[in-house]
Amino acid sequence: MLTFYVLMWPAVVAGVLFFIARGFLRDWREARREGHRLI
Amino acid sequence: MSPEGIPGQLSAPLIIALLVLFYGGTLFISFTISRKKENADDYMTAGSKIGFGVSAASMTATWIWASSMYASATAGYTYGVSGPIHYGLWGALMILFIYPFGRRIRKVAPRAHTLAEVMYARHGRSSQLMLAGSNVLGSVISLTSNFIAGGALVAMLSPFSFQQGIVTIAGGVLLYTLWSGFRASVLTDFTQVMAMLGAVVVIIPVVFFAAGGPELFTAGAANVTPQQQSFFSSDAFLNQGAPYIAAVLAYAIGNQTIAQRLFAVREDLIKPTFVTATVGYGATIIGIGMLGVIALYLGIEPTGGDVNNLIPQLAATYLGPVLLAVFFIMIIGALSSTADSDLSALSSIMMADVYGQNVAGRKKADPRTMLLVGRVTMIVATGAGLYFASGQLNILDLLVFVGALWGALVFPVIASFYWGRVTNVAFTAATLSAIALFVPVRFELVPMTGPIGLLVDVLAVIGVGVVLGLMCFGFFGTRVALVVGVLATVVVAPFGIGFLHDYTVLSASLVAYSVSTLVCVALTLRNRESFDFSLIARRTGEFDEDDDVPTADPVPNPTR
Repeated sequence: MLTFYVLMWPAVVAGVLFFIARGFLRDWREARREGHRLI
Repeated sequence: MSPEGIPGQLSAPLIIALLVLFYGGTLFISFTISRKKENADDYMTAGSKIGFGVSAASMTATWIWASSMYASATAGYTYGVSGPIHYGLWGALMILFIYPFGRRIRKVAPRAHTLAEVMYARHGRSSQLMLAGSNVLGSVISLTSNFIAGGALVAMLSPFSFQQGIVTIAGGVLLYTLWSGFRASVLTDFTQVMAMLGAVVVIIPVVFFAAGGPELFTAGAANVTPQQQSFFSSDAFLNQGAPYIAAVLAYAIGNQTIAQRLFAVREDLIKPTFVTATVGYGATIIGIGMLGVIALYLGIEPTGGDVNNLIPQLAATYLGPVLLAVFFIMIIGALSSTADSDLSALSSIMMADVYGQNVAGRKKADPRTMLLVGRVTMIVATGAGLYFASGQLNILDLLVFVGALWGALVFPVIASFYWGRVTNVAFTAATLSAIALFVPVRFELVPMTGPIGLLVDVLAVIGVGVVLGLMCFGFFGTRVALVVGVLATVVVAPFGIGFLHDYTVLSASLVAYSVSTLVCVALTLRNRESFDFSLIARRTGEFDEDDDVPTADPVPNPTR
C-alpha cells in the first residue's frame, strides 16, 4: 500500500509529461502549417 | 571557493559544465525567438494566443519552485505520509480554483496585461495600486527565495560558495529573460518542465529502492508516530493543510505570474491548461514530498538541523554522479522557471501599471520607453533579490505572512468582476479594514481571551464559509456558493468557536477573508448604480501598434 503510494506520483508525472509534450508538438506543427510564430 | 561543499560530491568543473549547459541552452532558446525590435505587448503577454502545450508547461513550471519541493519534503518528514498531500494538494488547487475566475476576467478584459490594470479600469487608481503593490511584494519575495534555494544547493553539492551560487543563478536567469521578456520565459519553461518532470519520474523510484524499497516501511516503523503513519492525521491537517486551504484563492489572486498566463493563453484553452498544470504540479510536489517520508522512516537527521537540507542530503546519499547531476538540473530548473516568471511579472506591472497608466498615461505611452522600463525593472529586481538573498532572511515565513495577507483582497477583487454595484470605496475600505484586523490577530498584539477571542472565533468561522463559498462560486454560481457558505459556517461554528483563535496563522487568514467580505458587501449594498462591464475592454488593451492590432480607447478618468 505505502509502496504504491510512493510510486504512484512519478507515474502520474510521467503521464502529464507525455500530455504536455504532445501538446507542444501540436502547437509547433500548427504554427509551421499556418506560417506563424510559436510564441 | 569555500569548504561548504561536501567532499566527493559534484566537482567544480562538472558544476560549471552543468550551469553552462543549462543557462547556455536556455539563452540559445530565447535567442532563437528574439527580435531586433520587440513588441511591448508581446513582452508582457506574448500575443495572448499561446497554445496548450507551451502554456500548460509554463503554468506547471512557474508554480513548481525549489522552495515548494523543499517544503513538501519537510511536510513529509514532519507530519508523515499525509504531510505532502496537505502541502501539494492545496498548492495544486490554487491553480485549479483560479481558472473559472480567470475566464471571467479574460472575458471582460481580453487584451489586458495585469490584474491590477483591469482593476484600474474597473475602479481607479487606489484599487490598482493596492493590488499591484501586493503583486510586487509577492514576486520579489519569490525571486529572493529562489535565489536562496539555488545558492544553498550550489554550496551543498559543490565546492562553490553560497554567494557564488546566487550570483551565477541570478545572472543566468536575467541573461535569458532580459531581451524578450515573457516570450522567453514561457518558451524556456517548456524545456525546463521537461527536465524537471523527467528527473522526478526517475529520481523518486531510484531513491526509494536504494533506501530499502518496500522493506523500508516495516524496518522503519519504529521511527514514526501513529499520527505520522495516518493518512488522516489531524496534526497534518490543522498545522499544514488548513492554513493552505485558506490560502488557496489568496495566492492565486495575489500572484501576477498566474494572471499573466491567464492573459497569454488562447482564451478557449484556459481550462485544459490550468487543469493540466494542477495535476502536473500536484503529482510532482507530492512525489518530491515522498523523499521526506522516506527520510522519516529511515530515521535520518537533517544536516545542521535544517530540514531544507533533506532533499539534497538524500540525493547525495542515494544517487550516483549521473543522477546527482540530473537532480541538480531539476532544482536549478525549478528555481529558474519561477524566477524568470517573477521577473516577467514585475516588468509587466512596472510597464503597464506604473508607466503605462500612471506616468505617461495610456494615450501617450511610448512602446520603446515601455520596453526600457521593463528591462530596467528586471535588472533592478535581480539586484534587489540578490541583496535580500545575501542576507539569508527566513524568506518563506515572510511569504506565508504575505499569502495570508492576500486573503484581504480575495473577495473585493472577485466581487468586482461579477457584481456591478461594488465601488472603489467598498473595495478599498474592505481591504484596509481586513488588514487592520489581520495584523493584531496574526501577531497576537492583543490577548486572544474573553470577548476578543470569541469575536476572532466568530469572524474566523464566517471566514470558513466565505472561503468555501468562493471556491464553489467560480464553478457553480451564486446560489450554490451561498448555500455552501452558510452551511459551512453553521457546521463549523460549534467546533470552531472557542478553539480557532489558538491557531493564529489560520484564524488571522480567515478573519481577513470575513472582514473584507462583510465590509465590502455592506458598503456595496448602499450603492444603487451598476457598473457597465463592457467599459473594461475599452479601457484596457494594446500599448504597441507594431503588430497591426487595434488599440484601446483612452481611459476617461475611471473613478467608480
